[in-house]
Amino acid sequence: MLLADIVFVIIVLITMAGATMTVLSGSLIYALMGLIATMFGIAGLYIYLSAPFIAMMQILIYVGAISILIAFAIMLAGPMFKRPKEWTKPIKFISGVITALITFILFISVIMRAEWKGLKAEPVKTTTSDLGRALFDKFMLPFELISLLIVISIIGAIMIALYSRKER
Amino acid sequence: MFVALFLMCCGILGIVYRRTLIAMLISVELIMNGAGLNFVVINRFLYPERVNGQVFTLFIMGIAAAEAAIALAIIILIFRRFKKIEADTLKEMKD
Repeated sequence: MLLADIVFVIIVLITMAGATMTVLSGSLIYALMGLIATMFGIAGLYIYLSAPFIAMMQILIYVGAISILIAFAIMLAGPMFKRPKEWTKPIKFISGVITALITFILFISVIMRAEWKGLKAEPVKTTTSDLGRALFDKFMLPFELISLLIVISIIGAIMIALYSRKER
Repeated sequence: MFVALFLMCCGILGIVYRRTLIAMLISVELIMNGAGLNFVVINRFLYPERVNGQVFTLFIMGIAAAEAAIALAIIILIFRRFKKIEADTLKEMKD
């Protein structure tokens, strides 16, 4: 077993453990920690999939921005130790597990039918410059639309904050 | 691939299972991450000569950031008005 395989298995285990902790933990802060572990694991998986730029953006955006945003929201929502635990009724848990299992089996059966031709292929050479060229050449309109969407969402968040301030 | 599927199923389970709105938002982030990972995996193993999947993953990240910002603003607003963030206790808009 190569060193790369061992590291890959470790990364997969970190990712899955983080996801499990996110879903099953009782406190919101622990769920956030699990989410951050999952994000790091996914960044490692991106590196293994020969997409280092995506891995860097994953760490920058998710770990750096979204997790901090969620942490701020959790802290603004009051002291956590006074809250009841996150667990709801077991009937909800069972229904969630059933839904997740049905989805899992459905997707697995679709994926197994696909033709995996690149499994034995050479290491691909899609570099970051290729990515940028595609982004500004073929995907120009979606790129600009995404930037417009982010601007609109920032303005919307500020407006929500302003109106709630005014009503009090 | 299996990890991405596992992430998505965890996200669905979380949406059904968790009590607070913020936990549901975290579960939505998990689902979006699973989708992005799926895009990159399919790009790598089915069409290794193109970059479309990676570009779409970047778009997914942008959309997730915008969605998280808006959803957290709304959650903070709800908390200020009702003083609670549990989803099943918000009954004001039900009737």
